[in-house]
Amino acid sequence: MKDAYLGLDTGSISTKGVVVTDDGTIIARSYLWTEGNPTDAAQRVVRELGRQLDQDAYRIRAVGTTGSARRLVGAMLGARVVKNEITAHAVGTTRLHPDVRTILEIGGQDSKIICVDGGIAVDYAMNTLCAAGTGSFLSSQAHRLGLEVKEFGDIALTSKRPANIAARCTVFAESDLVHKIQVGYPREDIVAGLCKAVAMNYLNNVGKGKRIVAPVVFQGGVSKNAGVVRAFEDALGMPVLVDADGHLMGAYGVALLAADAAAEDGAGAPTGEQFTFDVASFQFKTREIECNKCANHCEVICVYQDGEIIDSWGNRCDKGAVKVGRR
Amino acid sequence: MVDYARVSMELEKLRPPKLTGTRPARREKRDRHAQTKVAFFRYGYYDIAFKYFTERVLDAEFVPLPPATRRTLELGSQHSNDFVCAPFKHILGDYLEALELGADVLVQFTGPCRLGYYGEVQESILRDLGYDFQMLNFAVVSGKPATEYVKLCRRTVNPNVSLKQGALEMVTTFRLIECLDAYHDAYLSRAGFAIDPDEPKRLQGSFYRALRATTSRAEVEAAYTAGMEALERMPQRTPADPVRVGIVGEYFTAVDPHSNLNVEDKLLSMGVKVARMLNITNRNLRYNEKNLRASAAPYVRYDMGPTSTLTVAAAKKYAEEGFDGIIHLKSSGCTPEIDCMPVLQRVSRDYGIPVLYLSFDSQTSDTGLDTRLEAFYDMISMRKAAPRTARQAADLRTKEGGDR
Repeated sequence: MKDAYLGLDTGSISTKGVVVTDDGTIIARSYLWTEGNPTDAAQRVVRELGRQLDQDAYRIRAVGTTGSARRLVGAMLGARVVKNEITAHAVGTTRLHPDVRTILEIGGQDSKIICVDGGIAVDYAMNTLCAAGTGSFLSSQAHRLGLEVKEFGDIALTSKRPANIAARCTVFAESDLVHKIQVGYPREDIVAGLCKAVAMNYLNNVGKGKRIVAPVVFQGGVSKNAGVVRAFEDALGMPVLVDADGHLMGAYGVALLAADAAAEDGAGAPTGEQFTFDVASFQFKTREIECNKCANHCEVICVYQDGEIIDSWGNRCDKGAVKVGRR
Repeated sequence: MVDYARVSMELEKLRPPKLTGTRPARREKRDRHAQTKVAFFRYGYYDIAFKYFTERVLDAEFVPLPPATRRTLELGSQHSNDFVCAPFKHILGDYLEALELGADVLVQFTGPCRLGYYGEVQESILRDLGYDFQMLNFAVVSGKPATEYVKLCRRTVNPNVSLKQGALEMVTTFRLIECLDAYHDAYLSRAGFAIDPDEPKRLQGSFYRALRATTSRAEVEAAYTAGMEALERMPQRTPADPVRVGIVGEYFTAVDPHSNLNVEDKLLSMGVKVARMLNITNRNLRYNEKNLRASAAPYVRYDMGPTSTLTVAAAKKYAEEGFDGIIHLKSSGCTPEIDCMPVLQRVSRDYGIPVLYLSFDSQTSDTGLDTRLEAFYDMISMRKAAPRTARQAADLRTKEGGDR
């Protein structure tokens, strides 16, 4: 029986999961839409990973979770490590590409840049307040053009003269776009213009003031869009690498962190409740309770497994603490 | 100088009493106290100094405000222009709660930025809402001789303010602020390493309670000495080379924990040694714009705004002292601090020190903040743990890049 580690990245749009061995090889992977239900999506991913894994040969020793639903999913799976997605991405990518200097990442709702030197992250930035230039902007504009977001990249590549579309703000970009459609610009030029707008918006906001040094790795759902990749290459004047497993990097990174944490615990140390793939069949419910003990009215989130409370958070002081049964 | 004064006063005490003659009949001391209830806005731990100022300088009643809650900011935002900076909303919410608690007078200072106009705007908003109160707005006498300040205090709070006691106690108020800031500096560098994680807050609480009860310079000094000793005695486990983070930024948001969603406490709970040069002591009491600017050379050549010189000078100092990271805090839309960001980016490149930029408006959820702080901590601690040679090579490359 060999040890393996499970990493789960539950984002707003998609949920990603991997199982890695001791030496960091991915032996099972899964990627599907979150569809607004992170607990269900996490369970579906775990089920899928369980199917791919030879459960007689490997035993899951520790679990790591990341992504915006990391806390919830971490409580569900009894995770050893619950980490933010920036750290997870940096750890995963530097393991696969030890020489990487810049990581660009554009996801469904957020975008970030991580500067790496000597295999360690030395600087990062994340978008604030604004969703312009993220995956959800592209998919809503695709909808307006009556296209699938998947076709975007190939259509953009056929354009010779990308249309100029304001990159500063989604609202301006959209009115620019409508105007260009109405005056009859070719569709491929508009699509290529949108891809360029996403890249420029990213470089002007998240990437502002950061030195972008090759080798550059581009990740996140939007990296699957060849049009945006080309726009980045044109703007930066350097090759931009897109990994086939690029969308799994958060899950991969947090699986590696779980492996490190388990190694730190020592070989014989108990790693909490033994993880089983049965977790995919439990019922999980989340309830929000408003604490009325002071005017802060904290929203306390309680997670129940088969009717029994397993975790709670959101209270700012002890007055709002909810007792959690040991499991 | 103050010490000399104390020595001579003690000498006077030792002088033997005159044995001849009768003591001249002393006039009954006049009661100068006013029942006027004075309230300030909430601003970190400075309510202690505000209370001392009200009771000892103005000789009036102080209205203590309970800790701010979500309702405070809701009240403030509801009656503010949406685009005004967050400190305005916080302060307006504080005033509304103070008026509910029976305050007669609201106090506002002058500020080196838009803050200088806030008092008048807030006063007119509150009057439009139908409240009846006096405004002790120091912005209206800013730059005028001290006698104008006294006149203003006599007109709005207490007609019998004593000039002699007022001047003496004003000096003590400044000393009290210095004590508070010095204690907080020590707290930020120690609290992250306490063996009992609850002990720092407990010690801080009792220090603040002791200071709130002081009524003289001697009591302030005694409470400060006792508080610092207790903090130094606190059992702690400090690593040989702890992760160090410097906080820089805008006057209100970077200082007030309720405005920055307790950034300092969050860092301390991660086991970080924190430093923040920005406080009233360094920005007001001991401020020397020209000399500070000279220390920030070559990054700043002229006065860029209220806290800009301090922000850049502090960032440069932290970078030179080998801190692991800098966090820049400001309210959303704070123009002077936005102007500092490109300068900080240059400091960051030149010294190879990462800077995390955080903006605050009226949000109350700290999920996004936790993600960013946790990632920042992971990054700087992993960088610190990386083999020294790799790090030096990286730093060297960063420096070469910065010169380009």
